[in-house]
Amino acid sequence: MKKLLTTILSLGVAASAALAGDLSLTAVKVSDKLDALNADSALWSKAKFATVALYPQSAIEFNDKEAIEANKANKGKKAQVAALHNGSEIAILVKWADGSKNVQGIKCTDTYSDGFALQFAGTTKKAQPLPYIGMGSDGRPVVVHLQKATDKVYEPNGNKDVSTQINRQQTGVFGKELAEYDAKVVSLANTDFERVFVGEGFRSLTEIKDKSVKSNAAMKYENKGWTGTLVRSLKDDYVSASGTVPVAIAVWDGEKHGRNGLKLLSSWVAINLEGEKANAAVVAEATETPKGDAAKGKLAAETNGCAGCHQLDKSVPAGTMAPSLVNVGGYSTAAYLRESILKPSAVVVPGYNRNAHKNTPWYTIEKGKRVSTMTDYSFLDKATVEDIVAYLKTLKVEVE
Amino acid sequence: MSKRQLAMVMDLNKCIGCQTCTVACKTQWTNRNGREYMYWNNVETYPGTGYPKNWMELGGGFDAAGDLQPGVIPNLEADYGVPWDYNYESLMGGQSDSNHFQPHVSPTWGPNWDEDQGAGAFPQDNYFFYLPRICNHCTNPGCLSACPRDAIFKREEDGVVLVDLDRCQGYRYCIAGCPYKKIYFNPKISKSEKCILCFPRIEQGLPPACAQQCVGRIRFVGFLDDEESQVYKLVHKYKVALGLRSDYGTQPNVYYIPPTESPAKFDAEGKIIEGSTRLPVEELEKLFGPAVHDAIKTLKAEMKKRKETGVSELMDLLIAYQHKDMFRLDNNYYQEVAKAAKRNPLAPVDTRYIAGKFTKAGGHH
Repeated sequence: MKKLLTTILSLGVAASAALAGDLSLTAVKVSDKLDALNADSALWSKAKFATVALYPQSAIEFNDKEAIEANKANKGKKAQVAALHNGSEIAILVKWADGSKNVQGIKCTDTYSDGFALQFAGTTKKAQPLPYIGMGSDGRPVVVHLQKATDKVYEPNGNKDVSTQINRQQTGVFGKELAEYDAKVVSLANTDFERVFVGEGFRSLTEIKDKSVKSNAAMKYENKGWTGTLVRSLKDDYVSASGTVPVAIAVWDGEKHGRNGLKLLSSWVAINLEGEKANAAVVAEATETPKGDAAKGKLAAETNGCAGCHQLDKSVPAGTMAPSLVNVGGYSTAAYLRESILKPSAVVVPGYNRNAHKNTPWYTIEKGKRVSTMTDYSFLDKATVEDIVAYLKTLKVEVE
Repeated sequence: MSKRQLAMVMDLNKCIGCQTCTVACKTQWTNRNGREYMYWNNVETYPGTGYPKNWMELGGGFDAAGDLQPGVIPNLEADYGVPWDYNYESLMGGQSDSNHFQPHVSPTWGPNWDEDQGAGAFPQDNYFFYLPRICNHCTNPGCLSACPRDAIFKREEDGVVLVDLDRCQGYRYCIAGCPYKKIYFNPKISKSEKCILCFPRIEQGLPPACAQQCVGRIRFVGFLDDEESQVYKLVHKYKVALGLRSDYGTQPNVYYIPPTESPAKFDAEGKIIEGSTRLPVEELEKLFGPAVHDAIKTLKAEMKKRKETGVSELMDLLIAYQHKDMFRLDNNYYQEVAKAAKRNPLAPVDTRYIAGKFTKAGGHH
């Protein structure tokens, strides 16, 4: 099995040499059941690997001093991605380098786990535009599958088992009975940190706990890297995928205090299901390279005062007035950037906690709707907008 | 800001550091399931390192402009202290090689590691006092403002700040954001937990366990808008109860009567220096702000008045004759709230998510 995996990985490396930063790939069709698939499964030898670039999420800075320090010089990362499908389920494998295996300890208050997540576009009447990459937006929901590397964790509240929420010394039993109590506690332990969320924008994520989403995620650390796998249905209450499945990838590094927004993420990646008719428009949206002139766009961004609120250059300190855009070219589609310039209020996610910076609200609430405080730039001519989009697409850190 | 605010006043002149409040809280809430290291209520010696270690230097809170400041998440071993246990069982059962009590880890730090050390030189001018601390259930909570998950909420009905454990994902920004470091990470369930002001007791008309058990009767509990409550009188009428480190900008709702009485200093010959006081007022100003001077003045004046005339409402309040007067929880109020909300008991979750806002079929339990 190990040998096979090495073969797969070397295939992946070969692929990455040829293609840097793919935004579409093919999910090879197989007839096998996929639900028990993991990193070691032989089926992956049938898959085609692509390389997807992941960039640091740097839209906002969180209030954790040590984490800010640890993530200052973050670079992008390349992930090897492959997918399989059998008509009813899709399996996705993500492999990324990580020099240290970090598992959040159950006796620590300041350690964090490595992890990965796959984001799917939720079912909507229209497949496009794709949801905002940062966990969706109003009316454009996403489903996020999160897997974290964890130790065995005893989570009594998970099972609502009140009888085992007692300190062993207060059980009132001794000797053999106490040993039995301890064994029961251990038997209730939970080893897997796999969660599924639905959300319409960063901060709105809600865990789906009713088991209505069938999925199986796992991760394995080997040779200074993680391999994460996820299998889920192509259709359920939240996702209805056919032809082309847009997916976004995120990875967390516990070493750098990674959790929630402190992560690396990809832009939308279009996964075409082999044997089905691809959705050309979705593929085009995910893979579009803007035609504008980035140099002219930079100038236009300067004259239009974008830097008044947004951080465009890492050498200038980020304010709290608007999201930092230093990596926006790495994880945003051209369509999203265009929309944000022309219709700033089209996507306004609940965002970071507004109480944190009360004097610089990103949006106001009018008639129950979030209205961006950004100026509407729809007065710009089409060519200038395209130039700015081309410029914004260049804003991203180096990928290691 | 909530509709009403429940508040607590602690009289530092009367705290004897017996830790009965600490134990009352611990046995009620934090002796199990990953909360063992937490002290939702602790009593620390001031001056001292406090709990967690040097909490005043760990950031959080707001600057003058109202921006949340970055903070540090304390380490279990170095800053809180690993809760150690003793070999009771093996000793009781006679299975132990050793015949004495032994901790299961070698302790390197713990709450009250520097208990009663204080500052100054013994016997000339050494001093300390006890500072009991619980969550301040702030009007502008740093923890709530730091949470990117909307998992912390302030109850409308009484301003109690709670964590919705269903929404909490254990990111711990709340811990960095709280300048008092009174919200803790439970590593077993990977979620943040904190003092809940004993809301299940409060809703039944009982004061929080720490206040009920206090042998010095230093704790008053009531609504800040209830002019009949002793809390109102101490905070608003006499203005002798002040928030701790209000300069952090969170508008804390636990108030302290500053310690006004301390012995005089000794000179080199061990003689009393008349008119001196060991407790430097600068230290009190650091903790309670410039209003501490007026508070001390009022307290001293009322004490004098009571001595001379036998009459002082403020001194009578601080004598704390009756629990029923010290705790005005107005039980009917909570019954009305529960009735209006059609839920009894009040659910410890944010009602915005009870219906499962973003999930289809009962995602939120």
